[in-house]
Amino acid sequence: MSAYRNSAYEEDPDYPDYSDSRNHTQGYLKTPGPLNNSDDSSTRSNPYPAESRTSPDYLGSLAEPDYPGSWSNPDYPGTRSHPYSAGTDYPKPLSEPEYIGSQRNPYQPGSSGEPDYSQSQRNRDFPGSKGRGNYTGSRVNPDYLDSLGEPDYPGAQENLNSSGPRATSNHPGSRRNPEHASPRVKAYIDSLAEPDYPGAESQSNHPHFFGEPDYPGAEDYRNSTNFWGEPDYPGAENGHDYGSSEDPEMARQMLSRTSSVQPSFHHEGVSPLGILGREDVDYPESIEMKSVGMANPHPGAPGNGYVNPAYVGDDGLGPAYGDPPLSGHDWLSSPQGQKLIESLIPMTSRDRIKAIRNQPRTMEEKRNLRKMVDKEKSKQSRRILELNCCAQCLNSISLAYRRFKNNLSELLDSISLWQKTLKVIGGKFGTSVLSYFNFLRWLLKFNIFSFIVTFSFIIIPRLTVTQENDLQFTGLEFLTGAGYFTNTVMYYGFYTNSTIRHGNSGASYNMQLAYIFTIGGCLVVCFFSLLFSMARYFRNNFINPHIYSRGIAKLIFCWDFTVTHESAVKLRQKNLSTEVRENLSEIRQENVKLTFSQQFIRFSAHVAAWVVSSGVAITCCVAVYYLAENNLQFLANHSNPGAVLLLPFVVSCINLVVPRFYSMFRLVERYEMPRHEVYTLLIRNIFLKISIIGILCYYWLKIVALNSEECWETLIGQEIYRLLLMDFVFSLADSFLGEFLRRIIGTRLITSLGLPEFDIARNVLELIYAQTLVWIGTFFCPLLPFIQMITLFIMFYVKNISLMMNFQPPSKAWRASQMMTFFIFLLFFPSFTGVLCTLAITIWRLKPSADCGPFRGLSFFIESIYSWIDTLNKRSSYRWVVWIYQNLIGSVHFFFILTLIVLIITYLYWQITEGRKIMIRLLHEQIINEGKDKMFLIDKLIKLQGMEKRANPTSFTLERRDLEPWGPLRVRQHDAAQVCICANISSLVSNPDLRFRRSFQEDNPKA
Amino acid sequence: MEGEKESVRMRVFRAGSCQQLFYRYQDLAPQLVPLDYTSCPDVKVPYELIGSMPELKDNPFRQRIAQVFSEDGDGHMTLDNFLDMFSVMSEMAPRDLKAYYAFKIYDFNNDDYICAWDLEQTVTKLTRGELSAEEVSLICEKVLDEADGDHDGRLSLEDFQNMILRAPDFLRFTDSVKFPPFFHL
Repeated sequence: MSAYRNSAYEEDPDYPDYSDSRNHTQGYLKTPGPLNNSDDSSTRSNPYPAESRTSPDYLGSLAEPDYPGSWSNPDYPGTRSHPYSAGTDYPKPLSEPEYIGSQRNPYQPGSSGEPDYSQSQRNRDFPGSKGRGNYTGSRVNPDYLDSLGEPDYPGAQENLNSSGPRATSNHPGSRRNPEHASPRVKAYIDSLAEPDYPGAESQSNHPHFFGEPDYPGAEDYRNSTNFWGEPDYPGAENGHDYGSSEDPEMARQMLSRTSSVQPSFHHEGVSPLGILGREDVDYPESIEMKSVGMANPHPGAPGNGYVNPAYVGDDGLGPAYGDPPLSGHDWLSSPQGQKLIESLIPMTSRDRIKAIRNQPRTMEEKRNLRKMVDKEKSKQSRRILELNCCAQCLNSISLAYRRFKNNLSELLDSISLWQKTLKVIGGKFGTSVLSYFNFLRWLLKFNIFSFIVTFSFIIIPRLTVTQENDLQFTGLEFLTGAGYFTNTVMYYGFYTNSTIRHGNSGASYNMQLAYIFTIGGCLVVCFFSLLFSMARYFRNNFINPHIYSRGIAKLIFCWDFTVTHESAVKLRQKNLSTEVRENLSEIRQENVKLTFSQQFIRFSAHVAAWVVSSGVAITCCVAVYYLAENNLQFLANHSNPGAVLLLPFVVSCINLVVPRFYSMFRLVERYEMPRHEVYTLLIRNIFLKISIIGILCYYWLKIVALNSEECWETLIGQEIYRLLLMDFVFSLADSFLGEFLRRIIGTRLITSLGLPEFDIARNVLELIYAQTLVWIGTFFCPLLPFIQMITLFIMFYVKNISLMMNFQPPSKAWRASQMMTFFIFLLFFPSFTGVLCTLAITIWRLKPSADCGPFRGLSFFIESIYSWIDTLNKRSSYRWVVWIYQNLIGSVHFFFILTLIVLIITYLYWQITEGRKIMIRLLHEQIINEGKDKMFLIDKLIKLQGMEKRANPTSFTLERRDLEPWGPLRVRQHDAAQVCICANISSLVSNPDLRFRRSFQEDNPKA
Repeated sequence: MEGEKESVRMRVFRAGSCQQLFYRYQDLAPQLVPLDYTSCPDVKVPYELIGSMPELKDNPFRQRIAQVFSEDGDGHMTLDNFLDMFSVMSEMAPRDLKAYYAFKIYDFNNDDYICAWDLEQTVTKLTRGELSAEEVSLICEKVLDEADGDHDGRLSLEDFQNMILRAPDFLRFTDSVKFPPFFHL
């Protein structure tokens, strides 16, 4: 229908008089007769065969993907779009065969003398054209949106409509002729009720016509004669139209038009519509759309030219994001919507729901989309009925499963710790502070996991074997960890080396193996968990090294939407403006080069700061080492059980004081970037803490383990317990006293100081420090994860209260996720790997104490594994374990080969990464080049239009027949330019063909 | 089918289920929105009430958010718009979706490009007009310098997304800095 209408409509200029003589009751067969035997039959028949022959606009371009037709034969945008849009995505018109037939009929007789006319093609187009029309309409004509809800023939409507203003556009300024437009629009509104043939209905002055969809085209002619004084090729008009207008809006429209090619390219691969020449479908589509958009400026909308780019700009997101929000039906029936639906159909229901959910659409549209997809799906599934039952069954199962999972996750969410508190913190302090609490919670989960594992595999079996504890409980044990606790499940020394067996026939439980495997398993799980989180963070926070940016853009767009508290918002805004000012001043200062002396001073300040900080750290380490060494003698001389607290106290004091001392260095060394300052501080602090732990480990493994007569593992466990506890106490004191005092000072005494900011780096490092101790200590004190669990739990509340009372939100925009990557890396690299080294030395090199713990009597801890393997070797059914052990775990060759392979893979990946970096750089350059190219071409086009206008200022006032030979030619140039630009931008700049096209475009007007 | 539709919604919201959101919506304008919503689907809650919600009350972009999610761009919301808004703002929403809507929020003149004027609006809103005009224009220039991939003088959605790729801290609609799940404990 629409194709018929359109083609008719194209020809309408030639038959202005005919419409009057048109007979409403005339059959289809008659209608085309006069059409093609018109007074202008010569001109009429000439252009068409010529076009179709020389330029594959109608036929050739369907097969040819590089759009020569559309390029060289631009004068019939309306028609063009229809042949291309051969995709029959609209089942409804197809269900009206008599209509199709009627459509075919009119053309066949008329075109009998003109074999190149390609009616069949047009007929084929007709369903697709509707889609196209709808598409354009929905996009460009908001005033017809309502009618678009009707999926039937908006295309015809649209074309008709657009042709109206276009044809009357002798005066580009008043392209949309109000008196013409108003009856037109009204007609459409009327036609809304009528689902079929809105094109026909557009002639609202013929109400009786509604029942007879036979002569829409004829009707149209008449209409055009009535209304439009200047019937012409719409394309020509169109070309002229924008060619002669010079307002800046035009340029914008140009821009949008040129860039509109991208979506079409984008979609051609996925288009499920194109039955014929799918690639071609997209190309004219965009052109058509634009030209229509050109002719129909939205009344009232200030940036009406901008409506189109909406569509353009989105295309990067793929079809899903490719459309501006239209009304539901409208969008769904657009090609994009159709494509989306097509692509959704083959998905599993779960994927489909996910895909639908991720559409940037309103709920209603999503619902409609679902409905349509389900409808389509049910249509398809009718064909495969036998599968249907099975699929339904599966569906219901998966639905039930999903519901169960949803409920479960909701339950988990509801019992998830501190959900509400975290929201409040985020609302008041932003994401950066929130990330500290998230980190804390994450560590808590780690410890809960470790505790559950150790509890179930070590502690419960041990508890089943009762043993009297004859030590006295005084209460001081909570601090020292010694005394009564020594003979509890808390420490290594309490565990037996015996095989636990209840009853004679019961399964035996080897405590030695349980102990070593549980701790080992725990560490392995932690290792992989850390590794994967770290890898994930690194991947997510990958930063393109080639694009330098100061981050102002991020600053501007990084508004923290979590912050909802009023004062916090205000503070944030203030901080942001300060930061922006700082950034600006930095930019201004950037040009001012520092003098050599200034540089030297700065450099020496840095060196001095590093020397001092390293010196302090080394001094602290030495102090701790001597203290620890003398500690044994000191303890031997002092009978007071509290004396053991000396070492932990000193260590905690160091941890409390030195980081604050370090942070004072910022007064001396002035870093240009605040981030550098934070990183430097972090590195110094982690160096201090890790070296202290390293010194302690050395002391434990070298001195305590070798010299001590009694159960040295328990001694180490106690020591670690004390360190941990002391650290916790210091943190509590710091929160309650230090931070509180700081607030009092800041608000009462020295008001210029103000409230302090929450020091995320220092607090996170404290957490890392404690976690390192816990990992080391788990072997010596299996209950340590439990203790850490409790301390973290308390810590959360304490920090939360302290935060709410004593702190203000951070003033600097923290790159929270980058910092978190760094923190997790720190947790992995010095901390966890250090722990692994320490434990490896313990297990492989140290002799267990002779009369306590599960490994008593062995010369090394690892010997328990050796003897286990020996036992297994005797049983034939476990030979494979032995084989694995001997050939994989215990084999040097295997590890040698493995290392080699890993190195090779690493090298290959490194090379691939390097290659990709180069590729990214090249692509980025290409983007810039294409942007330049686009601007250049737009300039050209605007110049061209100006020239054109000067050359033919009166072309539209010419008589119609005089115009006839002109029109196509001129329009061809215009569209050539347009298409050329499209092609130019979308394809590579280096394409030599394009040079030719451009020169063609430039030469044409001169010719 | 009906159940599945529900489950779509449930999956989107999860934390605050559809029901709860409806009650919140109803609470905003109890005189407008009937409790039995099925009978009166054309109700719109005016922007003044939407903007007074605690989530939006102090957000400098509240008007834009309401405009972007409302049907006619006037900030008045139907229940569907309301649900849309919450589904996008929820932490469950995928990043691309958030990016799309964030782009729309920053695109003040709805031309689907963030141009210098949009940027000026954004900066003014962010800094409560504390910066001078010269500073604002300088900032906008710098932002365009940094983020404009194809050097056409304005930010398209691709440019914007590209920037997001480089800035993981972007779009903190809700706590997007989450720690990797550890055995879902």
